[in-house]
Amino acid sequence: MRKQLHEIQEIDQYVLREMSAADQLVFQARMLACHHLQEKVEHQLQAHALVRRFAREAQREQLSEVYDRLWETDASFRSEITAIFK
Amino acid sequence: MQEKEAQWLTTVYRDSFPQVARTVQQLGGDQETAKDLFHDALIIYLEKQRNHTLDIRVSLKAYLTGIVKILWIRKCKQDSRQRPLDNMEDQLGIPEDFYTPAPERTTRLLRYLQAAGSKCLQLLQAFYYEQRSMQEIARQFHFKTARSATVQKYKCLEKVREQVKNTREYEEAVA
Repeated sequence: MRKQLHEIQEIDQYVLREMSAADQLVFQARMLACHHLQEKVEHQLQAHALVRRFAREAQREQLSEVYDRLWETDASFRSEITAIFK
Repeated sequence: MQEKEAQWLTTVYRDSFPQVARTVQQLGGDQETAKDLFHDALIIYLEKQRNHTLDIRVSLKAYLTGIVKILWIRKCKQDSRQRPLDNMEDQLGIPEDFYTPAPERTTRLLRYLQAAGSKCLQLLQAFYYEQRSMQEIARQFHFKTARSATVQKYKCLEKVREQVKNTREYEEAVA
């Protein structure tokens, strides 16, 4: 793996709390000394947040498909829901 | 979605949605709102299950209805007289970033990344969100080994991270 990917792996270990307490302290000290590293950590956290948003959107689509399927194939489900909102 | 999971979701949907719909209707919401809030509640439940932070002392139906009530109140931005529900919110532990509406920048970034390579996002989703093992991911995405899937995972994360950085730099430059 090239150097940049190793660094991404290391940052992941830090943000996912997979580092030992001692390694965490060393990493935090490196962040304090290097603003650039701090920025990379921040961007990586944002990348994780983006993946989470993407995943939630995908899951919402899957759930909409479940609803549509039930609506089309389960008459008692459809009439129950229709009665609630009539 | 795997077959077993899809079947489970359909059963939960069939069993729980009518009660949630009744609750939302009583609160003044419509069918679309009930559906959206129910989906969010189910997503919160599934996330907590994956993270092993689920602590349910009631039935699944009651749990989902409780989350939907909180989401409804958030949606309506009710005033501080609703404070008692805050305790309930703490107990249910809704993820911190769940309510935060996606800023314009995030939405744009997401659209860009989806267009640029949804396979990368799917791979990242499988690991970081669905918490699948690298062996499983290697099989699912047709990599020869878990090691090569891991390298690809970091390449994908690098791509997303670069895009985050570039978008921010661009916005700072034009601000």
